[in-house]
Amino acid sequence: MSMNRRRWLIHLVLRALAHRKGRTLLLLAVLAMASSLATALGIVSYSMGKRVAEEVRKYGANLVIIPETARLDVGSGGLNFGVVSEPTYLQQHQVEGVLARSGLKAERSFHLRGALHWKDADIMVEGVNFAEIRRLFPWWQLKGDWPAVGETVVGNDLAIRLKLKPGDTLELAGKSRMTRLRVSGVVSTGGEEDSLLFLALQELQQALGLDDQLTLVRLMVTAGGDSLKKSAADLQLLLPSAKVNEVRQTARTSEGLLAKVKLLMLMVTAVVLVSAGSSVAGTMSTTVLERSKEIGLMKAMGGTRWEVMLIFCGEAAMLGLLGGLAGYLLGSGIAQFITRTVFASSAEFVPWFLFVSLGISVFLALLGSFGPMISVFRLDPVRSLRGE
Amino acid sequence: MLFRILKNSFLKRPKAVFLVFLSIAMGAAVATAFLGIAGEVSHKMALELRSYGANILLEPSAVEGGGFLREEDLPKIKTVFWKYNITGFTPYLFGIADISASGKKERGIVSGTWFSKNLEVPGEEPSVQGIKGIAPWWDVKGRWPEAADEAIIGAALARRLNIAPGGDVATMIRGRDQLFKVVGVVTTGGYEEEQLFAPLVTVQSLLQQQGKVSRVLVSALTVPMDEFGKKDPATMSKDEFEKWYCTAYVTSVAKNVEEVMAGSRAKPIWQIASAEGALLKKLNSVMLFLTILALGASATAVSTSLMASMAERSPEIALMKAVGADRFQISAIFIGETLIISVAGGVIGYLVGDQLAGIISRTVFNSTIASPLWLFPTAIISALIVAIAGSVAPLRRALLVEPVRVLKG
Repeated sequence: MSMNRRRWLIHLVLRALAHRKGRTLLLLAVLAMASSLATALGIVSYSMGKRVAEEVRKYGANLVIIPETARLDVGSGGLNFGVVSEPTYLQQHQVEGVLARSGLKAERSFHLRGALHWKDADIMVEGVNFAEIRRLFPWWQLKGDWPAVGETVVGNDLAIRLKLKPGDTLELAGKSRMTRLRVSGVVSTGGEEDSLLFLALQELQQALGLDDQLTLVRLMVTAGGDSLKKSAADLQLLLPSAKVNEVRQTARTSEGLLAKVKLLMLMVTAVVLVSAGSSVAGTMSTTVLERSKEIGLMKAMGGTRWEVMLIFCGEAAMLGLLGGLAGYLLGSGIAQFITRTVFASSAEFVPWFLFVSLGISVFLALLGSFGPMISVFRLDPVRSLRGE
Repeated sequence: MLFRILKNSFLKRPKAVFLVFLSIAMGAAVATAFLGIAGEVSHKMALELRSYGANILLEPSAVEGGGFLREEDLPKIKTVFWKYNITGFTPYLFGIADISASGKKERGIVSGTWFSKNLEVPGEEPSVQGIKGIAPWWDVKGRWPEAADEAIIGAALARRLNIAPGGDVATMIRGRDQLFKVVGVVTTGGYEEEQLFAPLVTVQSLLQQQGKVSRVLVSALTVPMDEFGKKDPATMSKDEFEKWYCTAYVTSVAKNVEEVMAGSRAKPIWQIASAEGALLKKLNSVMLFLTILALGASATAVSTSLMASMAERSPEIALMKAVGADRFQISAIFIGETLIISVAGGVIGYLVGDQLAGIISRTVFNSTIASPLWLFPTAIISALIVAIAGSVAPLRRALLVEPVRVLKG
């Protein structure tokens, strides 16, 4: 094909598009709609997995580390009936070292459980780092304020039993020294926390004479499924004197939920794409079908099938590319809007979706023009020109 | 005359008619599938989230510890105002016992509970209650207990006692003893691994506490807490209290259950309840957006395909005008054509969409879906409205043109 002829073909395609502005605009809009739908649904499902994974982390830690000989003492809700064994401890610096060395991406919280004496009775207390608690235990319902230095938070049931309220002070006696604490707030969780008194980890370690000792470490590892199992096994190897347990209630349930959400999004996307896609291809076909006269004219003027096909496909492909580009921009905008509104965070910027969007749009445009074109080709140019 | 024109219009250009029909049917299918599942999905997701475990804890109201709830009150949980929201509950009675097996001895906790108990409440559907329903994350090696002297043992306790399914454990509390056959070992990663779980009746007689339970875990479908839900019910006016009580907040369902269990106090388990509320709210709004998107898209697809088909037919309209048809007659022909195609497309689309909704529900949630009755007329009527909306503009434009100019090309 000579250079001249090729330029003439391109010219023909452009003229055909420009000549029938209404039809071109309509097809562009339809193709852009389909590919923006694909882009929006694609990006939303793509970021959905991550966003929901972040959400289910609010159910709490998925790994716990306890001393090897200790009894398990964690979980949600009221099935914890107390421990009937001697306490054993983890070395805080050792755990810190191992966590740093393992390179594990995890949020952590350190806990030390013990008893302090107040007015002829022992109170169960827990030493924690409150900054860690606020991140890992977002469900704490706190009345009052988070404690500052020298302050404490009391579990709701314990507060009722001991008639304590925010602002009260109490002197607690530990094995090695006394601590004076001011109650800054009352916490209720519906779990074991309701009958505990919380103070800063270091203060409790000093009061009990248990420097550097912990009874429990909770970890929220940013991984699920097999990689969570592997993280647990890796940590276990590094901490031979401890037990690393997977908390099935949160870990396994979250995994199942995530799989369902992803599957749902996939199916919804597939349904919409197939139906909207066939509808768009149908519209495209309608416009080609009505152009049998034009095809007949081209053939009568001596155009080969190949050339006529090239002109029509070129037209479709050009529409497809433009529609796909517009669709990508519009779809990214929609996806951005949805994730912003729902998850209050921006959607991921996924550049390769541009190719998905262009691909879908061009595919639909070609699919729509191909079918009717085949049947139009079979027509005798004379008869189609006569309008039969 | 009108009918003959319509008949010929369908028979002479079957491909064009088919394409419009396809587009309408597909649009109606997407709309039906989405409207069908959108309502169900939030319910199904809420049920799915229940597998995180119980969200309400009932315990004796005496703060000092001790005290019991009555087992005979338990069936009343299935009769409360929010009974349809309560997906399951399990009672527990626990005691500290000397547990011994294969020559080893330990002090440990024995929990009496329901594993999967058939519960018949007069006037209510029979149901199965127990741990199996409300704690699906329990990983039991072996099987669940069936007979009164069978038990499952926590994995950590089993390791220390060196016992496997098939072995026997002896428990002793204050001089009374009971032999259990271990049929399963349970792994959860939580404190359940330190306990021995046996049927409630057996533990009641071991502890000499017939008819008593010490805790009940309740799993209930709830709505996310909002500002109003967080208000203290004690400070509410009568109307406000009524509104609060009739909204399925976890706190109001808890209150509702507390009222039927004598001497009890119900607490929401916030670890489960608060995360669930937030997650549900988000999943629901994503679904809502997707539905709007899908409906918008299918409406656009249908009306544009009508526009495309109508726009290409201006010569036909011009010809009709030239042979003397008035605007009304022409409109009647085209609208009638659209009407027939869109009703047929709506019906087929509805049937396809209904199947699609069923497939989605089956694959994702393993359950069937009952599409609401209003969906059928809605699908047809909306297909009609969208199709007519799409054809009116091009039809009007075609009617305005001079026949001569169009016919000349």
